[in-house]
Amino acid sequence: MQENIEVMMGGGAVTTAPHIILSSGLGSCVVVTLYDTERKTGGLAHIMLPDSSSLNGDHPAYKCADTAIATLIKELRTMRATPQDMVAKLVGGARMFLSSDDFGPGIGGQNIISIKRILKRRRIPVIAESTGGNYGRNVEFYLDSGRVTVKAIGRETKEI
Amino acid sequence: MNDKEQLLSAEQIDFLTEMMNIGAGHAATALTQLLQRSVDLVIPRVFVITDAQELSILDSPSLPVVCARMGMVGEVSGGLFLIVPGEQKEDLIRLAEQAMTDTGQSWRTGITKQESDDLKLSVIAEIGNIVAGVYLTTVHDFCKLNIYHTVPTVATDMVQALLDESLVRLSRQVQHIIVIENEFIVEEKLIKTFLMMIPSVESVDILVNSIGQARMAMVKDEG
Repeated sequence: MQENIEVMMGGGAVTTAPHIILSSGLGSCVVVTLYDTERKTGGLAHIMLPDSSSLNGDHPAYKCADTAIATLIKELRTMRATPQDMVAKLVGGARMFLSSDDFGPGIGGQNIISIKRILKRRRIPVIAESTGGNYGRNVEFYLDSGRVTVKAIGRETKEI
Repeated sequence: MNDKEQLLSAEQIDFLTEMMNIGAGHAATALTQLLQRSVDLVIPRVFVITDAQELSILDSPSLPVVCARMGMVGEVSGGLFLIVPGEQKEDLIRLAEQAMTDTGQSWRTGITKQESDDLKLSVIAEIGNIVAGVYLTTVHDFCKLNIYHTVPTVATDMVQALLDESLVRLSRQVQHIIVIENEFIVEEKLIKTFLMMIPSVESVDILVNSIGQARMAMVKDEG
Protein backbone atom coordinates (compact mmCIF):
# COMPACT_ATOMS: atom_id res chain seq x y z
CA MET A 1 0.00 0.00 0.00
CA GLN A 2 1.13 3.50 -0.81
CA GLU A 3 1.96 5.62 2.20
CA ASN A 4 2.27 9.37 2.57
CA ILE A 5 5.11 10.44 4.80
CA GLU A 6 4.98 14.03 5.98
CA VAL A 7 8.20 15.87 6.74
CA MET A 8 8.06 18.97 8.94
CA MET A 9 10.39 21.97 8.82
CA GLY A 10 13.87 20.87 9.81
CA GLY A 11 13.00 17.19 9.31
CA GLY A 12 13.77 14.47 6.79
CA ALA A 13 12.71 10.98 5.69
CA VAL A 14 13.83 8.18 3.40
CA THR A 15 11.70 5.53 1.74
CA THR A 16 11.19 3.48 -1.42
CA ALA A 17 8.61 3.09 -4.20
CA PRO A 18 5.62 3.35 -4.21
CA HIS A 19 5.47 5.75 -1.27
CA ILE A 20 5.23 9.55 -1.29
CA ILE A 21 7.09 12.07 0.87
CA LEU A 22 5.38 15.42 1.42
CA SER A 23 6.51 18.70 2.91
CA SER A 24 4.61 21.96 3.04
CA GLY A 25 4.92 25.67 3.70
CA LEU A 26 8.37 26.23 2.23
CA GLY A 27 9.50 29.84 2.12
CA SER A 28 13.20 30.47 2.53
CA CYS A 29 13.67 26.82 3.51
CA VAL A 30 14.79 24.40 0.81
CA VAL A 31 13.65 20.86 0.17
CA VAL A 32 16.28 18.55 -1.31
CA THR A 33 15.21 15.25 -2.77
CA LEU A 34 17.78 12.55 -3.50
CA TYR A 35 16.64 9.69 -5.70
CA ASP A 36 18.44 6.51 -6.63
CA THR A 37 17.02 5.91 -10.09
CA GLU A 38 18.15 2.26 -10.16
CA ARG A 39 16.64 1.20 -6.84
CA LYS A 40 13.70 3.63 -6.69
CA THR A 41 14.80 4.65 -3.25
CA GLY A 42 15.08 8.20 -2.10
CA GLY A 43 14.91 10.75 0.65
CA LEU A 44 13.75 14.29 1.32
CA ALA A 45 15.12 16.89 3.73
CA HIS A 46 13.41 20.19 4.64
CA ILE A 47 16.49 22.32 5.25
CA MET A 48 16.40 25.59 7.22
CA LEU A 49 20.01 26.79 7.33
CA PRO A 50 22.97 26.80 4.92
CA ASP A 51 25.45 25.28 7.37
CA SER A 52 25.72 23.95 10.88
CA SER A 53 28.95 25.71 11.86
CA SER A 54 27.08 28.77 13.17
CA LEU A 55 25.08 26.67 15.62
CA ASN A 56 26.19 25.78 19.10
CA GLY A 57 25.43 22.45 20.66
CA ASP A 58 23.09 19.77 19.39
CA HIS A 59 20.72 20.40 16.57
CA PRO A 60 18.53 18.13 14.46
CA ALA A 61 20.54 16.60 11.63
CA TYR A 62 18.12 17.66 8.90
CA LYS A 63 18.06 21.30 9.89
CA CYS A 64 21.29 22.40 8.16
CA ALA A 65 22.39 21.72 4.58
CA ASP A 66 25.71 19.99 5.40
CA THR A 67 24.43 17.61 8.07
CA ALA A 68 21.11 17.05 6.27
CA ILE A 69 22.68 15.86 3.03
CA ALA A 70 25.23 13.72 4.88
CA THR A 71 22.44 12.12 6.89
CA LEU A 72 20.23 11.52 3.85
CA ILE A 73 23.09 9.77 2.04
CA LYS A 74 23.94 7.71 5.11
CA GLU A 75 20.32 6.63 5.57
CA LEU A 76 19.97 5.84 1.88
CA ARG A 77 23.13 3.73 1.91
CA THR A 78 21.62 1.56 4.63
CA MET A 79 18.78 0.96 2.16
CA ARG A 80 21.41 -0.11 -0.39
CA ALA A 81 21.12 3.03 -2.51
CA THR A 82 24.39 4.34 -3.93
CA PRO A 83 25.39 7.98 -4.44
CA GLN A 84 26.60 7.22 -8.00
CA ASP A 85 23.00 6.47 -9.01
CA MET A 86 21.47 9.43 -7.22
CA VAL A 87 19.98 12.57 -8.69
CA ALA A 88 18.90 15.62 -6.75
CA LYS A 89 16.06 18.12 -7.07
CA LEU A 90 15.71 21.39 -5.18
CA VAL A 91 12.58 23.32 -4.22
CA GLY A 92 12.17 26.52 -2.21
CA GLY A 93 14.68 29.16 -1.19
CA ALA A 94 12.26 32.02 -1.81
CA ARG A 95 12.42 35.52 -0.46
CA MET A 96 8.94 36.17 0.84
CA PHE A 97 9.16 39.87 1.61
CA LEU A 98 10.75 42.28 -0.77
CA SER A 99 11.90 45.31 1.10
CA SER A 100 14.71 47.75 0.83
CA ASP A 101 16.27 46.80 4.15
CA ASP A 102 17.18 43.31 2.89
CA PHE A 103 20.50 43.04 1.13
CA GLY A 104 22.31 40.08 -0.37
CA PRO A 105 20.80 36.73 -1.27
CA GLY A 106 18.87 36.24 2.00
CA ILE A 107 18.71 32.96 3.86
CA GLY A 108 16.82 31.32 0.98
CA GLY A 109 19.54 32.19 -1.51
CA GLN A 110 22.30 31.15 0.90
CA ASN A 111 20.58 27.80 1.38
CA ILE A 112 20.48 27.16 -2.37
CA ILE A 113 24.15 28.13 -2.87
CA SER A 114 25.30 25.98 0.02
CA ILE A 115 23.26 22.92 -1.02
CA LYS A 116 24.49 23.10 -4.62
CA ARG A 117 28.08 23.34 -3.44
CA ILE A 118 27.70 20.29 -1.20
CA LEU A 119 25.98 18.24 -3.91
CA LYS A 120 28.67 19.19 -6.42
CA ARG A 121 31.37 18.02 -4.03
CA ARG A 122 29.53 14.72 -3.65
CA ARG A 123 29.05 14.47 -7.42
CA ILE A 124 25.29 14.24 -7.24
CA PRO A 125 23.74 16.13 -10.17
CA VAL A 126 20.91 18.60 -9.59
CA ILE A 127 18.58 17.64 -12.45
CA ALA A 128 15.68 19.98 -11.70
CA GLU A 129 14.75 22.83 -9.43
CA SER A 130 11.97 25.26 -8.59
CA THR A 131 13.73 27.84 -6.48
CA GLY A 132 13.75 31.53 -5.69
CA GLY A 133 10.89 33.93 -6.30
CA ASN A 134 8.71 35.36 -3.59
CA TYR A 135 6.11 32.68 -3.03
CA GLY A 136 5.66 29.67 -0.76
CA ARG A 137 5.65 26.08 -2.00
CA ASN A 138 4.32 22.63 -1.10
CA VAL A 139 6.26 19.58 -2.29
CA GLU A 140 5.31 15.98 -3.09
CA PHE A 141 8.02 13.48 -3.91
CA TYR A 142 6.86 10.29 -5.67
CA LEU A 143 9.25 7.42 -5.12
CA ASP A 144 7.84 5.28 -7.95
CA SER A 145 9.26 7.66 -10.58
CA GLY A 146 11.29 10.24 -8.69
CA ARG A 147 9.02 13.02 -9.91
CA VAL A 148 8.43 16.01 -7.68
CA THR A 149 5.34 18.20 -7.81
CA VAL A 150 5.40 21.77 -6.59
CA LYS A 151 2.23 23.57 -5.55
CA ALA A 152 1.89 27.24 -4.75
CA ILE A 153 -1.11 29.43 -3.97
CA GLY A 154 -2.61 30.88 -7.13
CA ARG A 155 -0.20 29.03 -9.43
CA GLU A 156 -0.47 25.92 -11.52
CA THR A 157 0.99 22.77 -10.07
CA LYS A 158 4.39 22.18 -11.58
CA GLU A 159 6.17 18.87 -12.05
CA ILE A 160 9.92 18.88 -11.99
CA MET B 1 20.87 30.52 28.42
CA ASN B 2 18.60 27.52 28.49
CA ASP B 3 16.16 27.76 25.62
CA LYS B 4 13.27 26.63 27.79
CA GLU B 5 13.97 29.25 30.40
CA GLN B 6 10.97 31.38 31.20
CA LEU B 7 11.51 34.91 30.04
CA LEU B 8 8.64 36.38 32.02
CA SER B 9 7.05 35.17 35.25
CA ALA B 10 3.37 34.22 35.34
CA GLU B 11 2.64 37.53 37.11
CA GLN B 12 4.49 39.46 34.46
CA ILE B 13 2.55 37.68 31.72
CA ASP B 14 -0.69 38.59 33.51
CA PHE B 15 0.47 42.16 33.65
CA LEU B 16 1.41 42.08 29.96
CA THR B 17 -2.02 40.64 29.13
CA GLU B 18 -3.68 43.43 31.08
CA MET B 19 -1.52 45.95 29.27
CA MET B 20 -2.33 44.42 25.88
CA ASN B 21 -6.01 44.33 26.80
CA ILE B 22 -5.90 48.10 27.09
CA GLY B 23 -3.99 48.15 23.80
CA ALA B 24 -6.71 46.02 22.21
CA GLY B 25 -9.28 48.58 23.39
CA HIS B 26 -7.40 51.30 21.56
CA ALA B 27 -7.05 49.04 18.52
CA ALA B 28 -10.81 48.42 18.50
CA THR B 29 -11.45 52.18 18.60
CA ALA B 30 -9.04 52.76 15.75
CA LEU B 31 -10.56 49.95 13.68
CA THR B 32 -14.06 51.31 14.37
CA GLN B 33 -12.95 54.54 12.74
CA LEU B 34 -11.35 52.77 9.79
CA LEU B 35 -14.24 50.39 9.15
CA GLN B 36 -17.06 52.77 10.17
CA ARG B 37 -18.60 49.89 12.11
CA SER B 38 -18.60 49.11 15.76
CA VAL B 39 -15.76 46.75 16.59
CA ASP B 40 -15.91 44.64 19.75
CA LEU B 41 -13.03 42.78 21.15
CA VAL B 42 -12.47 39.64 23.08
CA ILE B 43 -9.73 39.84 25.77
CA PRO B 44 -6.49 39.07 23.96
CA ARG B 45 -4.39 36.03 24.74
CA VAL B 46 -0.78 36.88 25.36
CA PHE B 47 1.98 34.32 25.49
CA VAL B 48 5.72 34.13 25.18
CA ILE B 49 7.28 31.32 23.19
CA THR B 50 10.86 30.39 22.46
CA ASP B 51 10.09 27.62 20.04
CA ALA B 52 8.23 28.89 17.05
CA GLN B 53 6.66 25.46 16.56
CA GLU B 54 4.49 26.27 19.57
CA LEU B 55 2.66 28.84 17.51
CA SER B 56 -0.86 27.44 17.07
CA ILE B 57 -1.32 28.76 13.52
CA LEU B 58 1.68 26.72 12.44
CA ASP B 59 -0.33 23.56 13.05
CA SER B 60 -1.21 23.78 9.38
CA PRO B 61 1.95 25.11 7.75
CA SER B 62 0.24 25.71 4.42
CA LEU B 63 -2.69 27.75 5.81
CA PRO B 64 -3.18 30.81 3.58
CA VAL B 65 -2.69 34.03 5.53
CA VAL B 66 -1.90 37.64 4.94
CA CYS B 67 1.02 39.00 6.85
CA ALA B 68 2.26 42.52 7.41
CA ARG B 69 5.92 42.58 8.37
CA MET B 70 7.37 45.56 10.18
CA GLY B 71 10.59 46.35 11.96
CA MET B 72 10.79 47.68 15.51
CA VAL B 73 13.24 50.49 16.06
CA GLY B 74 14.02 52.65 19.05
CA GLU B 75 14.78 51.50 22.57
CA VAL B 76 13.70 47.99 21.63
CA SER B 77 14.58 46.71 18.16
CA GLY B 78 13.38 43.62 16.37
CA GLY B 79 10.57 42.43 14.16
CA LEU B 80 6.80 42.70 14.22
CA PHE B 81 4.35 40.57 12.27
CA LEU B 82 0.61 40.99 12.00
CA ILE B 83 -1.01 37.83 10.68
CA VAL B 84 -4.61 37.48 9.54
CA PRO B 85 -5.85 34.05 8.41
CA GLY B 86 -7.05 33.96 4.78
CA GLU B 87 -10.84 33.81 5.16
CA GLN B 88 -10.88 36.63 7.65
CA LYS B 89 -8.73 38.71 5.37
CA GLU B 90 -11.56 38.72 2.83
CA ASP B 91 -14.02 39.75 5.54
CA LEU B 92 -11.75 42.58 6.63
CA ILE B 93 -11.27 43.83 3.10
CA ARG B 94 -15.01 43.68 2.43
CA LEU B 95 -15.66 45.71 5.55
CA ALA B 96 -13.05 48.28 4.60
CA GLU B 97 -14.56 48.49 1.14
CA GLN B 98 -18.06 49.03 2.58
CA ALA B 99 -16.71 51.71 4.87
CA MET B 100 -15.27 53.57 1.91
CA THR B 101 -18.49 53.24 -0.08
CA ASP B 102 -20.49 54.44 2.94
CA THR B 103 -18.38 57.53 3.19
CA GLY B 104 -18.89 58.25 -0.50
CA GLN B 105 -15.49 57.05 -1.65
CA SER B 106 -15.24 54.43 -4.32
CA TRP B 107 -12.10 52.50 -5.00
CA ARG B 108 -13.18 50.09 -7.67
CA THR B 109 -14.06 52.23 -10.64
CA GLY B 110 -11.72 52.12 -13.57
CA ILE B 111 -8.89 50.24 -11.94
CA THR B 112 -7.19 47.06 -13.07
CA LYS B 113 -7.26 43.82 -11.12
CA GLN B 114 -3.63 44.38 -10.16
CA GLU B 115 -4.47 47.81 -8.77
CA SER B 116 -7.41 46.36 -6.90
CA ASP B 117 -5.23 43.61 -5.40
CA ASP B 118 -2.62 46.16 -4.39
CA LEU B 119 -5.35 48.21 -2.77
CA LYS B 120 -6.52 45.18 -0.80
CA LEU B 121 -3.02 44.58 0.48
CA SER B 122 -2.70 48.22 1.40
CA VAL B 123 -5.83 47.87 3.55
CA ILE B 124 -4.08 45.09 5.44
CA ALA B 125 -0.91 47.20 5.67
CA GLU B 126 -2.98 50.02 7.15
CA ILE B 127 -4.54 47.65 9.67
CA GLY B 128 -1.03 46.43 10.50
CA ASN B 129 0.03 50.04 10.99
CA ILE B 130 -2.88 50.73 13.30
CA VAL B 131 -2.64 47.58 15.38
CA ALA B 132 1.15 47.74 15.74
CA GLY B 133 0.96 51.46 16.46
CA VAL B 134 -1.56 51.20 19.28
CA TYR B 135 0.22 48.29 20.95
CA LEU B 136 3.56 50.05 20.82
CA THR B 137 1.92 53.17 22.24
CA THR B 138 0.50 51.06 25.06
CA VAL B 139 3.94 49.62 25.74
CA HIS B 140 5.24 53.18 25.84
CA ASP B 141 2.49 54.33 28.23
CA PHE B 142 3.21 51.55 30.69
CA CYS B 143 6.88 50.82 30.27
CA LYS B 144 8.16 54.25 29.21
CA LEU B 145 9.92 52.71 26.25
CA ASN B 146 10.04 54.52 22.95
CA ILE B 147 9.53 51.94 20.24
CA TYR B 148 8.51 52.72 16.69
CA HIS B 149 7.62 50.46 13.84
CA THR B 150 8.74 50.75 10.24
CA VAL B 151 6.40 50.85 7.23
CA PRO B 152 4.76 47.43 6.75
CA THR B 153 5.56 45.13 3.84
CA VAL B 154 2.60 42.90 3.12
CA ALA B 155 2.50 39.47 1.53
CA THR B 156 -0.15 36.78 1.17
CA ASP B 157 0.93 33.17 1.20
CA MET B 158 1.19 30.04 3.33
CA VAL B 159 1.80 30.89 6.98
CA GLN B 160 4.96 28.87 7.48
CA ALA B 161 6.45 30.07 4.20
CA LEU B 162 6.00 33.68 5.29
CA LEU B 163 7.53 33.12 8.68
CA ASP B 164 10.24 30.54 8.08
CA GLU B 165 13.02 33.05 7.48
CA SER B 166 12.32 34.68 10.84
CA LEU B 167 11.96 31.29 12.48
CA VAL B 168 15.32 30.30 11.09
CA ARG B 169 16.86 33.38 12.65
CA LEU B 170 15.21 32.35 15.89
CA SER B 171 16.72 28.94 15.72
CA ARG B 172 20.21 30.37 15.37
CA GLN B 173 20.12 32.22 18.65
CA VAL B 174 17.67 31.77 21.45
CA GLN B 175 15.07 34.40 21.00
CA HIS B 176 11.63 35.01 22.34
CA ILE B 177 8.42 35.80 20.57
CA ILE B 178 5.63 37.65 22.32
CA VAL B 179 2.39 36.62 20.68
CA ILE B 180 -0.78 38.64 21.11
CA GLU B 181 -3.78 36.78 19.81
CA ASN B 182 -6.66 39.18 19.21
CA GLU B 183 -10.24 38.49 18.35
CA PHE B 184 -12.34 41.33 17.07
CA ILE B 185 -16.03 41.07 16.34
CA VAL B 186 -17.38 43.19 13.52
CA GLU B 187 -20.98 42.69 12.37
CA GLU B 188 -21.09 39.27 14.02
CA LYS B 189 -17.98 38.20 12.17
CA LEU B 190 -15.08 37.04 14.21
CA ILE B 191 -11.75 38.33 12.99
CA LYS B 192 -8.70 36.75 14.47
CA THR B 193 -5.31 38.40 14.26
CA PHE B 194 -1.94 37.43 15.60
CA LEU B 195 0.61 40.07 16.44
CA MET B 196 4.09 38.65 16.92
CA MET B 197 6.74 40.80 18.55
CA ILE B 198 10.24 39.44 18.17
CA PRO B 199 12.64 41.57 20.21
CA SER B 200 16.25 41.32 19.08
CA VAL B 201 18.57 39.38 21.34
CA GLU B 202 20.16 42.68 22.42
CA SER B 203 16.86 44.27 23.44
CA VAL B 204 15.13 41.39 25.21
CA ASP B 205 16.55 42.38 28.59
CA ILE B 206 15.56 46.02 28.17
CA LEU B 207 12.00 45.01 27.38
CA VAL B 208 11.76 42.44 30.16
CA ASN B 209 13.23 44.80 32.78
CA SER B 210 10.86 47.57 31.78
CA ILE B 211 7.87 45.24 31.97
CA GLY B 212 9.06 44.10 35.42
CA GLN B 213 9.51 47.67 36.67
CA ALA B 214 6.18 48.82 35.28
CA ARG B 215 4.46 45.93 37.01
CA MET B 216 6.16 46.67 40.33
CA ALA B 217 5.17 50.32 40.05
CA MET B 218 1.57 49.32 39.49
CA VAL B 219 1.56 46.77 42.34
CA LYS B 220 2.90 49.53 44.65
CA ASP B 221 0.22 51.97 43.54
CA GLU B 222 -2.49 49.43 44.20
CA GLY B 223 -0.92 48.17 47.39
